[in-house]
Amino acid sequence: MLAALLDWPQAAFASKVEIAGGAATVKREVDGGLETVQMKLPAVVTTDLRLNEPRYATLPNIMKAKKKPLATTTPAALGVDVAPRLVTLRVVEPPKRKGGGKVADVKELVAKLRNEAKVIS
Amino acid sequence: MSILVIAEHDGAALKSSTPHAVTAAGRLGGDVHVLVAGHDAQGAAQAAAGLAGVAKVLLADAPHLAAPTAENVAAVALALLPGAYTHVVAPATGYGKNIAPRIAAKLDVAQVSDVTAIEAPDTFVRPIYAGNAFATVQSKDPVKVLTIRTTAFDSAGAGGSAPVEAVTAAPDTGLSTVTGQEIVKSDRPELASARIVISGGRGLASGENFRMLEALADKLKAAIGASRAAVDAGYVPNDYQVGQTGKIVAPDLYIAIGISGAIQHLAGMKDSKVIVAINKDPEAPIFQIADYGLVGDLFELVPQLTAELG
Repeated sequence: MLAALLDWPQAAFASKVEIAGGAATVKREVDGGLETVQMKLPAVVTTDLRLNEPRYATLPNIMKAKKKPLATTTPAALGVDVAPRLVTLRVVEPPKRKGGGKVADVKELVAKLRNEAKVIS
Repeated sequence: MSILVIAEHDGAALKSSTPHAVTAAGRLGGDVHVLVAGHDAQGAAQAAAGLAGVAKVLLADAPHLAAPTAENVAAVALALLPGAYTHVVAPATGYGKNIAPRIAAKLDVAQVSDVTAIEAPDTFVRPIYAGNAFATVQSKDPVKVLTIRTTAFDSAGAGGSAPVEAVTAAPDTGLSTVTGQEIVKSDRPELASARIVISGGRGLASGENFRMLEALADKLKAAIGASRAAVDAGYVPNDYQVGQTGKIVAPDLYIAIGISGAIQHLAGMKDSKVIVAINKDPEAPIFQIADYGLVGDLFELVPQLTAELG
């Protein structure tokens, strides 16, 4: 969405990002494999789990962070309308599965799948 | 009232997600138009025209749409939309999830993602908190942009004979191009739409041991999935992952092997009709939702099961 609003290119689920000569080459996860996309910069990239190791905050840095100024602003000051466009009418719990059945061995499992559940032939 | 369905296809044929999206669009009540954006995509367009419930197929054919990027497909859809459509429907797959937000943002509307049921043209049901609750939401936007969960809607059958109309493809945005694809070829059914799914977890202990599941999958003509633990450990590629951040599946039979059943995994498979769990830990949470649980060593039980089915 951010990419569209800025008219920038996008690459979602990136697993590898290389930047060279004002363009980015991104490997992204798609259904059933990988896709390599070449795009102009600036661009918006969303990352996949395996792109990199996150940089964890160390204790000294956490202490330092406490002294840093924190700017506070409001949506009105930025000129954006945050009125929700979606109204939640109700929230329900999904139907519960009543699992918990056990079988003693493979023979019984196969018999039950064939005759009781009828999911295999 | 007209609805625009963004078709997922490979040029020659439609992907299995598209007929599900057509069914969902039909529930909205209105003319269903299917947009096929591609190059040399006559095959996919004809397939879409043959789906029951489709009123018209719009074919945008241009060389730069051969490997469609979100930027270019969104541009084509946006050129068609003004005044003509009340809804945009895309499947909640990697393809649809890449495009729909771009369209929604350009229209300045709030997208409704992963819709599982349609109650009224402006009222939809969608899962929240990883599927632990379902929220019914009403959209007040002039155009509703939806991605639909393919397993929640039946696949539209054949029997349509809609006209195929060529539409002008928006010019190449030039923002990005697809330079390569590594799609894993497999004779197995697609994970998201397979009738039987066999998933392995950390209990398999290595990528080589997944071969054992392949023998079983071949017998059952099943797709192979995995838990996040198995994917993170590098046993299998990322697109095998079933769960909250992976694929959502709802096959007739789901066999979980060496999977303990973390809530995030359950979110991806608990709508399966019959669930079988094989795990050595009798306390594993997977057994609480499994119809048939088998406690024991998977390295003994899986070959036994394969042999028994032979």
